[in-house]
Amino acid sequence: MANYGMAFDYKLCINCHACEVACKEENGIDLGAKNHRLWIQEDGNVFGDFWNLQKDNIQFLQMQCQECEDAPCLKACPHEAIYRDSNGIVRLHKNLCDLTMACMYACPYEARYVDEKNHVTDKCIFCADTRLSRGEITTACQITCPAKLRYFGDLDDETSEISQVLSKRKYFTLKPELGTKPKLFYLT
Amino acid sequence: MQLIETSRRKFLQSSIALCVYASSSLSSPLFTTKTSDKKVKNTPYLCNMCRNKCAGFARVEHNTITKLNPNKYFPKSRNMLCPKGNAGIQAVYDQDRLKYPLIRIGKRGDGRYKRVTWNEAYEYIKEKLVKIIDEQKDNRSTIAYCNGEGFNKDEYIKFFGSKLGSANFLDEGSICLNTKLGATQLTIGDIGEMDVAGSDYMIISGANRYESLITPDSVDMIHAKQKLIVLDPRYTITAQKADEYLPLHPGTDLAFCLSMMYVAIKDELYNKKYVQEYFNDFNLLQEHILSCQYTPKWAEEKTHIPAEKIQQIAKEFFSASNPLYYLGRRSVWSENDFQLRRAMVLINALAGSINKKGGIIFGKPIKLKEEEINVPFYNEAQGRFDLDGIVYGSQKGGSWLNFREKVIGNTAPYPVKAMFIRKHNIMQNMPNIAKTKKMLKGMDLVVVLDTMPSDTAMMADVILPECTYLEREDMLVSFNRLEPSLALRNRVIDPLYESKSMQEILKGLGKKLSVPLFDVSSKYDEDLQDSIKQQGRVAAFSSGGYDLSELYQKSITQRNKKLILSQFDENVYKSLRERGVWHPFINKQKNLGNGLYTYYPEEKKFYTVKRRYKVNCYLKKLEKNGFDAIPTWHTRYDFKTKKNSFRLITGRYITSTQTATANNLMLQEIKEMNSLWLNDGVAKSLKIKEGDYVVVASAIARVILQVYPTNKIAPQVVWFAHGFGSNSAELTHAFAKGASDNMIIEDKFEKIYGCATMHETDVTIRKL
Repeated sequence: MANYGMAFDYKLCINCHACEVACKEENGIDLGAKNHRLWIQEDGNVFGDFWNLQKDNIQFLQMQCQECEDAPCLKACPHEAIYRDSNGIVRLHKNLCDLTMACMYACPYEARYVDEKNHVTDKCIFCADTRLSRGEITTACQITCPAKLRYFGDLDDETSEISQVLSKRKYFTLKPELGTKPKLFYLT
Repeated sequence: MQLIETSRRKFLQSSIALCVYASSSLSSPLFTTKTSDKKVKNTPYLCNMCRNKCAGFARVEHNTITKLNPNKYFPKSRNMLCPKGNAGIQAVYDQDRLKYPLIRIGKRGDGRYKRVTWNEAYEYIKEKLVKIIDEQKDNRSTIAYCNGEGFNKDEYIKFFGSKLGSANFLDEGSICLNTKLGATQLTIGDIGEMDVAGSDYMIISGANRYESLITPDSVDMIHAKQKLIVLDPRYTITAQKADEYLPLHPGTDLAFCLSMMYVAIKDELYNKKYVQEYFNDFNLLQEHILSCQYTPKWAEEKTHIPAEKIQQIAKEFFSASNPLYYLGRRSVWSENDFQLRRAMVLINALAGSINKKGGIIFGKPIKLKEEEINVPFYNEAQGRFDLDGIVYGSQKGGSWLNFREKVIGNTAPYPVKAMFIRKHNIMQNMPNIAKTKKMLKGMDLVVVLDTMPSDTAMMADVILPECTYLEREDMLVSFNRLEPSLALRNRVIDPLYESKSMQEILKGLGKKLSVPLFDVSSKYDEDLQDSIKQQGRVAAFSSGGYDLSELYQKSITQRNKKLILSQFDENVYKSLRERGVWHPFINKQKNLGNGLYTYYPEEKKFYTVKRRYKVNCYLKKLEKNGFDAIPTWHTRYDFKTKKNSFRLITGRYITSTQTATANNLMLQEIKEMNSLWLNDGVAKSLKIKEGDYVVVASAIARVILQVYPTNKIAPQVVWFAHGFGSNSAELTHAFAKGASDNMIIEDKFEKIYGCATMHETDVTIRKL
């Protein structure tokens, strides 16, 4: 079975929000800024006065569930509603979710939100029940991205684009000190 | 802290733990549908959310569009859809859409309408129009008609111009980019296309290509291995992404360009071989630039860009292999805009970056056959008057501000009594909205064809609901010059409610109007009277081309099939139906990885074509009319503002296409409203904090906005985005959100192309 992950050539991001809209339309996510499976986080600042601005450290980071190998949310759920699918994606048994929100508080990446339509917590699942379930090995955010900065695929397959790019380029993961072992990689 | 210009999502994210369930009452109704794997149809279409026309495939489940995906076959759009493209679904299913024909029952502008049948709407228009044209003794130009950017504009012109006989067509060109088109055409004989992907050194003045996407330019910039220099009075995302950002005073880009030319000529950095072969009157340009002493030191005073920097950029530009001074695709900013664009073209020419890779290329666009129509001749129809006093101007789209001024000032040679407005929100799109309102109030008949109850629709006597781009097929379009292709907008779903395509609307209108208007003509037109005497009424009508609906007898589908098969072949037709696109190498596209493709093989791209052309340094016609034949700086171009005044500049967010996207809920959740960018130092001295409300007042009107203090804008300049402040209460989500720039921008226009100059208004601000 596949072991899905995603890599971001994050410096190419122009913060256009196409990924956010595509995700919502594909996965039927409710409108409203608080309902989101993914978002772009703007970090940094530009210092100096207008005529003498210094080189800024502004960056746009693609944020979504990090698909941790050691997922805090999975352990936190008192009802064992969260499980890991055979393709490596952290999923939810919706019928077992009792909205304790323990998973939300446990997640160090703030990746989860309350899906008020289905009364469960929701997060990015790499379009597992939409595109992947139809056999399309692409996610909505990846295919629409104008910068084509998102690499998605099977980390266990050496020939996949994501494996190729990770073997050639340097990258970092978010909050590595927590030992969650994310499967999302930011290419430097 | 309010964090008003920061990502809203980030703000909400940080406070999510506090408000997780408390805000459930705010949750919006269901507007998105999860795609499922049931029976599905993927129809190729062309986007219409902005001017780019990117290609996509629409996923249709149970006759509902559930998702829009990018189309990898279209060279222009590079296999992507932007946020607006993705949010196109909301344009179709917007609950505020115009659904039925409406006739006004209240006063103009108060929004009171009654639902009528299509026939009642046509009948109403007929009665009014026959009366008007009779009163004006068959002067068809008493009807003005306008259409914003879009595929069907030419078909619309054929109806009201060619068939109905009015000379008064107006479009977005004179509030958009006509100076750029004109300057390029007059200087090198063609409007050309900029090869951004092929350029290794690019300068952008003002255009904000990462927040106002143009395909393929914006996408190519992301991937091109090039040095990017950005000049802008505001630190935009494009500026952030540049290798070098040069802040400057608004309206002084021309001084920078003149100085670049000075360095190129003085230090002999220009491409001598190219200049010798292609330039007309180079000696005049040389003499002018040198004698005017447009030194970097001089330009520093005008622009605020350090002289050494100008010298450095000029050196780098003229020593690059494929340098490009990007001509922009943006509004006209200043009085000197035409000369600025011309200077940019001349800089490219001095570097030899014309008709070659990475420069302005001519390429080889695919020419499509024109369908023939029988055009009547109206002896009594008078000519257009909006180009009076304009040196060149666009004979096609005219000059909006000059037109409006003459109509409301009663200085036009004849009264304009009726107006047909399509896909053009004139109550929001041009400076000084009060004047547009006055113009419309003076009309005897205003008809609006649109999809949304815009501010302009609320001024109409009759509203005709058009279907959206996903509900119709349009005529075949040819795209681009470097990698030419054909693309077809296929119909994805049938029109919702009682909306119709423009062609269907004009067909119905034509059927209703043809004979009654022919009868009016026969009262006044002596040639027509003779023709009737000779041939009889019926034959005079048909041979004279008075059947207004002639063009629409056949459906668009039939017309497209005929056109494609007569000019191309079965394979092209099949490709356009199944993939929405055709180009000669469509079956040989190479995947470069991660969804990026090659289209034309490198050796087949039309970088350089055989063509005789000259670079015109000196334009005699300009001199004859009292303007500069060669770009020149005048002291009145110097940037200055009065004490306590600020220069207002405008622009937009990536989520807006002017006001057309204002009511789109999906886009609103990314950017709900605009705010005023004010220099942080100035804000501090005025004791204005982030989120404070201020009154922004110009000489003509005032608006209220929240302030975003920032070091990303100069102390004498303020900015807020266009596309907000809709005044139509029928736009549930857009109504009164943010402020409209055109309320307060003064209606000044330059006299070479008659274009509105958007950056010549000073404002004061006062804390509320």
